[in-house]
Amino acid sequence: MQILIVEDESKLAYALQQGLEEEGYSAEVALSGEEAMLRLERGAPDLMLLDVMLSKRNGLSVLREFRRDGFHTPVLLLTALDSVEDRVLGLDAGADDYLVKPFAFPELLARVRALLRRTTTASQSALELADLQMNLTGRTATRHGIPIELTSREFDLLEYLMVNRGRVVSREMLTRDVWKETMRYTSLDNVIDVQVARLRRKIDDPFEVKLLHTVRGVGFVLREE
Amino acid sequence: MRFFNSGNLRLRLTLWYGSAFSVLLLLHIGVATYVHYRQLITQAFRAANEETETVEGLLYQAPDGQISLNEDYFNHPQVRFRLDRLFEILSPDGKVLYKNNKLNGADLGGAPLPNEGITSHNERFLKLSDGRNVMVVTHFHYLNGRPLLLRLAYDEAPLFVNVERFLGVLALLAPVTIIVAMWVAFTVTGKALLPLSSMVRRAEKITAERLSERLPVHDPSDDLGHAARVFNGLLQRLEDSFAQLKRFTSDASHELRTPLASIRSIGEVSLQTVHSSEEYRDVIASMLEEVRRLTHLVDSLLVISRADSGQIAMQLSSFSCMDLIQEVIGVVGILAEDRRQTIQVTGSAEVELAGDRGILRQAILNLVDNAIKYSPTDSTVLIEVQRKSALTAEISITDQGPGIPMQEQTLIFDRFYRIDDGRSRERGGTGLGLSIAKWAVEVHLGSIGVRQSDAGGSCFYVRLPLGK
Repeated sequence: MQILIVEDESKLAYALQQGLEEEGYSAEVALSGEEAMLRLERGAPDLMLLDVMLSKRNGLSVLREFRRDGFHTPVLLLTALDSVEDRVLGLDAGADDYLVKPFAFPELLARVRALLRRTTTASQSALELADLQMNLTGRTATRHGIPIELTSREFDLLEYLMVNRGRVVSREMLTRDVWKETMRYTSLDNVIDVQVARLRRKIDDPFEVKLLHTVRGVGFVLREE
Repeated sequence: MRFFNSGNLRLRLTLWYGSAFSVLLLLHIGVATYVHYRQLITQAFRAANEETETVEGLLYQAPDGQISLNEDYFNHPQVRFRLDRLFEILSPDGKVLYKNNKLNGADLGGAPLPNEGITSHNERFLKLSDGRNVMVVTHFHYLNGRPLLLRLAYDEAPLFVNVERFLGVLALLAPVTIIVAMWVAFTVTGKALLPLSSMVRRAEKITAERLSERLPVHDPSDDLGHAARVFNGLLQRLEDSFAQLKRFTSDASHELRTPLASIRSIGEVSLQTVHSSEEYRDVIASMLEEVRRLTHLVDSLLVISRADSGQIAMQLSSFSCMDLIQEVIGVVGILAEDRRQTIQVTGSAEVELAGDRGILRQAILNLVDNAIKYSPTDSTVLIEVQRKSALTAEISITDQGPGIPMQEQTLIFDRFYRIDDGRSRERGGTGLGLSIAKWAVEVHLGSIGVRQSDAGGSCFYVRLPLGK
C-alpha cells in the first residue's frame, strides 16, 4: 500500500513516514504542494495524507486540482484548524476524512486503515482473542470458558479493543468512539483510566495470561504478548 | 453650503443660528411694517370720516344755489395730511357742485356709484388722473333738504413716506441685531463646547497602553457631562477586558510553560547519561503524558477564545434536566464509584431546560467531576434539581469536600484560578473547567455560583431558563 504524505513540517512528515512504514505501509514524503503535484504526475498513491496549511500552496488547492484531474484516491486532511467551517471546507474540496493536529498516532493509523478498506466493513457477530471470546449479538463475554459479567460500557470498551486487537488505541479514540463524546475539549482521561482498570480486573486479574496492556503515554492495547 | 458642513461645530452652530435668526428677523420686519401700514390706513380713513362730518357742518349754500365750503376752520396741524385733504361735492345725478383747489381739477371718482355714501361711508382707494393714489370717503348729506354726495380724500404718498421711514429704521437696525446675536451665539456655543474640546484633547491621549485615562466631567448633569460619563464607563469596561485579556495571556503562557518545562527537563535529564532502552521508553512515555496535558490545555484555551469572540454556534432545544444529569453521571459516575462515593440525585423529573444540550452538559459534567474530585472517599455528592420560579430551574451540586473560603468564592470561576495550586494540577485540572462552565451557563443567560453547604462542603448552583 502506497501512502503519500504531503506535509511541510519535515519532522512531522518523517515521523509519520517512519510510523507508517513500521506498520507495513510504503510511505513517501512531499514537503510542499508543488512537490506533491510533481509526484502525483507519476501516478496516484493508494492514500494521501495532506496538510491543509502548506506554506506556499494551500493543501485545499492541491486537493481540488488532484480531484479535478480525476483521481479518486482517498485523502485524509491533517490540519490545525478544527472549526466546523474548516471541516466543511475540507470535505467540500474532496477530502474523505479530517484529522486535527496534534493527533495521536494510533488514531491516524485507525483512520488510514478505515480509508484503505472502505468497502470491507462487514460487521462480525463474534470476536476472539486467545481464550477471550465475545458474542456481539448476545452481548456476552467469556474467558477460558468462564462467563464475565460486564456493564454495558465495559462491553462497548472491550468490543472496541477487540475490534482493534493488536493495535494501540488512544484515549482520544475511546473518548470519541466508546463514550461518544464529540467535543474535543472534554477530557475523559480519568474516567477512561478507571474504566480500563475495572475491565482489567474482570478479564485479566483472575487469569495467568494478561491481555489488556497499557502503553504509557499512548493508550491501551489488547493482545497476547 | 460647504461652509455649513465644515468641521468646526462652533462656527457651524453660529452660522445656522445666524441664518435662522436673520430669516425670522426679516419676517418680523415684514409683518411689523405691514401691520403699521394697515394701522395708518385705518387711522387715515377714520380721520377722513371725522373730517367729512366736520365738513358737513361747514357747508353753506349761496342764494344762487352755489355750494361753498368755509375752509378756514381750525385744522389739527399735527395731522399733516388733513391739510392736504381733497374735496368734492356732487349732486346724486353726478353733477359736480364743488371741488377744492388741492384736486387741481381732477375728478374724485367720477359718477356716483349705486348707493354710494348711503348704506355706509364707502371707503375706497382711487388713482387720480394726475397719478396720485388717494383714499376716498363718501358721505350722503342733505343740505337744506338738498341731497348731496360729499367725497373727501387723502393722498396716500405721505403715508407711504411714513411706512418707508419705519421700514428704514428697522432695516438699519437688522444687521446690527444679527451681528450681535451671532456674536452671542458664537460666545455661548464656544463656552458650551469648551468641555467637549477638552474631552477630545484627553481622548486623543487614550491608547491601548493608557486605558486608565478618563475624560473630564465638567458638569455631570448636562448632556456633555452625561456623554463623558457614558464614555468613561465604556473606557472602564475596555480597560477591564484589556486587563482580563492581559492576565489571561500571561496566565495561559504560564500554564503552557509548565508542561513544556517538564518535557524539556525529562528529555534533557534522560540524555545526560546512557540508559537502557526500557528506561528510554519510560522517558518518552512521560514526555507524551505532558504533551497530552498540553494538548488538552490548548484545546480548552481554543474553546474559551472562541466563546469570547462569540464563535460558538448554539443548537437550541428543550430537554429533560434529569436525563442530562443521569447522562453525566453515566460518564463520570465511575470516578465516584472508584472512590466509594455515592451520588444522590433528587428533584422533580419533569423539569425541562432550554438551550444547547451539549454546552450545558459540559457545564454540569465539569461541576460533577469537580465535586467528585474534591470530595473525600466514602462521602456523598448530592445533586438537586428544582424549579426556582416560573421561568428558572436550579441545579445544585453539593459535595462534602473542604469547601471554598468565602473570599475565593467568586474568584474560582476566573480562568486558571486554583485554590490549592499543586493539588488540583496533580488531579489533572487545567484550571479552566469552572470558567468553561461559567461561560456555558452565562451564554444561556443563566447564573452560576457557589455557597457553603450546611455540612461544610461547597454547593455549586446553576440557574437556567426553563424549557417549553
